[in-house]
Amino acid sequence: MAEKKETENVVPLLFPRSSMSTENNLTGSWRFLKPCYEEKTAPCSTACPAGEDIGRVEMLMTQGMFKEAWETILKENPFPAVCGRVCFHPCEGKCNRGEFDDPVAIRSIERFLADAALRNEFNPSFDRLSSRKEKIAVIGAGPSGLAAAYFLTLLGYTCDVFESMPEAGGILRWGIPLYRLPVSVLRSEIARIENLGVHIHTGKHISQDFLKKAQGDYSAIFMGCGHSSTRRLNIHGEDIEGVENGLEFLGKIRRGEKYSFDGPVAVIGGGNTAVDVARNVVRLGGKSLIVYRRRRRDMPAFDQEIQMALEEGVEIRELLAPAKVESNGNEYTLTVQLMKVTGKDIDGRAAIEPEGGKTEEITVRKIFKAIGEEAAESWYNPPGKNKSIITLSNSVLVQNSKGSVLVFGGDLTNKTKSVVHAVASGKEAAIALDVLFKKGFDAIESGLETCTVGEGPSLSMEVYMGGPRCDRTHHVVVYDEINTDYFQMASRVSQPRLLIEERLKTFGEIDLKISANSAMKEAGRCFNCGLCNQCDNCYFFCPDLAILRDDGPQGRHINYDYCKGCGVCVVECPRNAMVLKEENQ
Amino acid sequence: MKRVLEGSQAVAEAVRLAKVDVISAYPITPQTHIVEFLSEYCAKGTMNARFLRVESEHSALATLIGAATTGVRTFTATSSQGLALMHELLHWTTGARVPVVMAEVNRALGPGWNIWTDQTDSLAQRDTGWIQLYCENGQEVLDTIIQAFRLGEWVNLPVMVVLDAFFLSHTYEPVDVPDQEPVDHFLPPYEPKFQVDTKDPRAFGSLVAPNAYMEMRYNIAEAMEEAQSCFQKIEDEYKGIFGRRYGLVEPVYCDDAEIVLVTSGTITSTSRQVINDLRARGEKVGLLKIKLFRPFPVDIIRQILKSIPKVAVIDRNISFGASGIFAQEVRAALCNLAGHPLVFGYIVGLGGRDVTTDVLEDIYWRTKNNNVPEKESIWLGLQEV
Amino acid sequence: MIEIRFHGRGGQGTVIASILLAKALFQAGYQVQSFPVFGVERRGAPVEAYVRFDKENILIRTNVYNPDHVVVQDCTLLQNIDVTRGLKPEGWIIINSPVSPDDLAPFTGFKLAFVDANGIALRNHLGTRTHPIVNTPMIGVFARVFNMPSMDAVEAAIREEVPAEVEGNIKAAQDAYNEVQLIGLIKEAGVDKA
Repeated sequence: MAEKKETENVVPLLFPRSSMSTENNLTGSWRFLKPCYEEKTAPCSTACPAGEDIGRVEMLMTQGMFKEAWETILKENPFPAVCGRVCFHPCEGKCNRGEFDDPVAIRSIERFLADAALRNEFNPSFDRLSSRKEKIAVIGAGPSGLAAAYFLTLLGYTCDVFESMPEAGGILRWGIPLYRLPVSVLRSEIARIENLGVHIHTGKHISQDFLKKAQGDYSAIFMGCGHSSTRRLNIHGEDIEGVENGLEFLGKIRRGEKYSFDGPVAVIGGGNTAVDVARNVVRLGGKSLIVYRRRRRDMPAFDQEIQMALEEGVEIRELLAPAKVESNGNEYTLTVQLMKVTGKDIDGRAAIEPEGGKTEEITVRKIFKAIGEEAAESWYNPPGKNKSIITLSNSVLVQNSKGSVLVFGGDLTNKTKSVVHAVASGKEAAIALDVLFKKGFDAIESGLETCTVGEGPSLSMEVYMGGPRCDRTHHVVVYDEINTDYFQMASRVSQPRLLIEERLKTFGEIDLKISANSAMKEAGRCFNCGLCNQCDNCYFFCPDLAILRDDGPQGRHINYDYCKGCGVCVVECPRNAMVLKEENQ
Repeated sequence: MKRVLEGSQAVAEAVRLAKVDVISAYPITPQTHIVEFLSEYCAKGTMNARFLRVESEHSALATLIGAATTGVRTFTATSSQGLALMHELLHWTTGARVPVVMAEVNRALGPGWNIWTDQTDSLAQRDTGWIQLYCENGQEVLDTIIQAFRLGEWVNLPVMVVLDAFFLSHTYEPVDVPDQEPVDHFLPPYEPKFQVDTKDPRAFGSLVAPNAYMEMRYNIAEAMEEAQSCFQKIEDEYKGIFGRRYGLVEPVYCDDAEIVLVTSGTITSTSRQVINDLRARGEKVGLLKIKLFRPFPVDIIRQILKSIPKVAVIDRNISFGASGIFAQEVRAALCNLAGHPLVFGYIVGLGGRDVTTDVLEDIYWRTKNNNVPEKESIWLGLQEV
Repeated sequence: MIEIRFHGRGGQGTVIASILLAKALFQAGYQVQSFPVFGVERRGAPVEAYVRFDKENILIRTNVYNPDHVVVQDCTLLQNIDVTRGLKPEGWIIINSPVSPDDLAPFTGFKLAFVDANGIALRNHLGTRTHPIVNTPMIGVFARVFNMPSMDAVEAAIREEVPAEVEGNIKAAQDAYNEVQLIGLIKEAGVDKA
């Protein structure tokens, strides 16, 4: 053991070391602008008709909290597995990331989460309000009716859904082809709604008498019968045998009827039904020819669907209006009038007129009509305007002097006929009815305004039910408000698909799944506009150490005794989840 | 046990024996072998230290200042531009009063790019408050490194142990490497006089206002002074255990010398040969080796040189616009002495040029043959360009 | 004091050879000093390393200018390098070569020995066919020419310094000790056996 060494100094050590504190100076008194935590609204969530809290979904996804992310979707949309596949994702068009590199692949992530939930049999927990005495009937088990029943159930109402077909799902079950939406996926989404307590009565003949009786039994009736009838062409020969309605054809395929084609098949129309029909035909051996009276760019079908149709060999003939159909043995001659563009109509599509007497004859083996759908019965539609009617964004509410309230929704009222608009319609109707029952007819519009996402028209059920999302302001974050110094360019996940050769042989789902790793990476690209993801930049950058961590939901607070209001935290917040306010506000 | 070791390995063996806790260094020729040996010891587990790789010499020293403040024994090594990059933190080390030990392998500064030996790099740091010890052979390097920890920890000042590039760092020679036990006896674990304590939070290196700064500087100056007597006590103890003693300075044949060569580093060793040869020929020549450069042992040097007629200071360094740095220091030490010796200053061996026995003899004869110095600095061996 | 100069090529183990010799001589009771020419060169360029040894302490710490003997690790160096530069008269020149040099004139006044160190290295699996490592055989030759250090000292030095193929290296040094050809002093007229 070493002996103790002589280390005593003649001169005692003097060196700079301090235990003084500057805390007695409450320098926060200098402040005239006050930084505050303030979560805002992401543009994607306002673009989503269902008002999904996308920024938060991506944040949870990035953190690997798959179940919580999925439940966050379920607060606003009962169909994540469906919308993760077939939604036309208007959210991605408004994604701020699009100005930086490419929009976040929001739909792919939604599908990933929904599939993960199904695969792992996640049991979602729902926030539900206490039970109400009112019972509500829903006519039609399509996406709007099921959404209405789902949200009404969350709000405490008892719902009965009546469906004429042998199985629920509406257009999802009988219209959208299998290669876009496998039936098992739809069934599990509907099963979840049923488990919530919604009663679905299938095979019910829906008549006016039925409706009349229901008005006595229920406090309100939601009409979501959809558009199941194909519009007429009003041309000679359209009713001859072999000229079929496109939507009916799709339904027959979904019911399992066998078709096979040989040679050219004309599909008249430019909407999603026309494209779906054409793509079914190529899978059944035919050669599809879409005949459309305007230009390809004017087609109302979703662009991605048109693109895939072209990849699969569907041909599109533009500026041709059908004039007549004649049968000659095995073939049909479709006479078309050539059209020309004269300008723009009010929707920005081409305005057209016939180009002199120029016609063309197209010889095909089969003709499908798909120029749009309408309600099968005229009484499905809402009545004309009067003072007991409120026309909302995605629904129409009719208060009768006696009997129950009638709400029309889904394709019956929606300008854009999409699944997510149907969900929006069901949600709007549910909230409107709840306001009506609680506060009266005149409170409906102001009641809906309390729960818009941003400035609307998208609505948030979470906000309506008083969830944490209520704290968001309606300010929609724009790209310039993102501090992009904190983000690196990263390429968007590319959606894996079946090869074209595989697609033509089967009705198997085209879009393949992406891995958890890719999905998390993709979610990590999200700016989480206006949301705090606890990045701690404010904490690190505060020159006065005035930001303190705590156990509250924000995770931190500002110590205004020392915050001098320099605003560094607000500038360095990558996501614009803070704001500088006048001190006396 | 005596082993044939490279100078760099003598440094590394001493650091291992000193049981250093934290090593942080950035490689630069000719210091590289030192850190290579040490990182290998750490990797193989023959030394139980944290070896921290950093991105620069500046960071290396900054790291050690932090580590030393937590109360552990620390070591680094560098050369030339690396030392220059440390400059800011050399001052900091002193002001923070942490006893970091550094092996400094003398190398010329560029450009012209030059990896060979030259003392200007370390001498340019003379005002940073680091104790500086210059060595002449591998044995002295090993012994001095071990002593440096005792010295620095005693007076709370950093210590630089300086060795010539290649002529010492890369030269193999027999070195007696002591056993661990007597080294442990001589150098017990570091007992810091202060250290970071999370239970008693303090700010280290905090602001010092004009009303206290001078006192702190004076405190460093006093500690520097004290280092001389402390080092002598340390050397006494070292000799008692290991039998070797070098002295702050070492006079050779100075008692009756008419000319004394003043040397440092490996030039000292070659000069020993030269004065032996000259003495054999009847010349009254002596040698004063300066080992401790900071603090400069003014009193001892005065005592030894006071009655010598001529002193020839040999500088392998240059302070441009002045003269060789050892010459300046020796002149300053002697100038207040009544009838002080004549001081001849010679500049030799810059950038690794060999200082041969011929050059050293030339210095002797020039000094002998001139009554007064021709000029303040005489540059020897310059070629026509 | 005796000074030795080694000639070799960068990457050939010339510095290691000088260290090995120093260690062997230290084992044999000498004070030693060994160092390379300090510089920067590419692999394959000519390099030099030195050894000093003496019974007394070695004080001098300068480069070697007038070696007593030289060791040439690679006979191809003879084409571009004057290995006799500064060599003291009658100093030994030990060359790694399978045969005696054809032209002995440049070595006049010096003593010559040669050994097929490449062959010995290959035989003992030292290095590769393209790059045999010859430093241990050259030390064996040195021991034979000067009758010191002892082969025991050489073996001890190899065990301390060489990291791999220790037995092969010891065998190679021994082979070289046995196989070296001593030509001896080259006189102007011819050869005088040593």
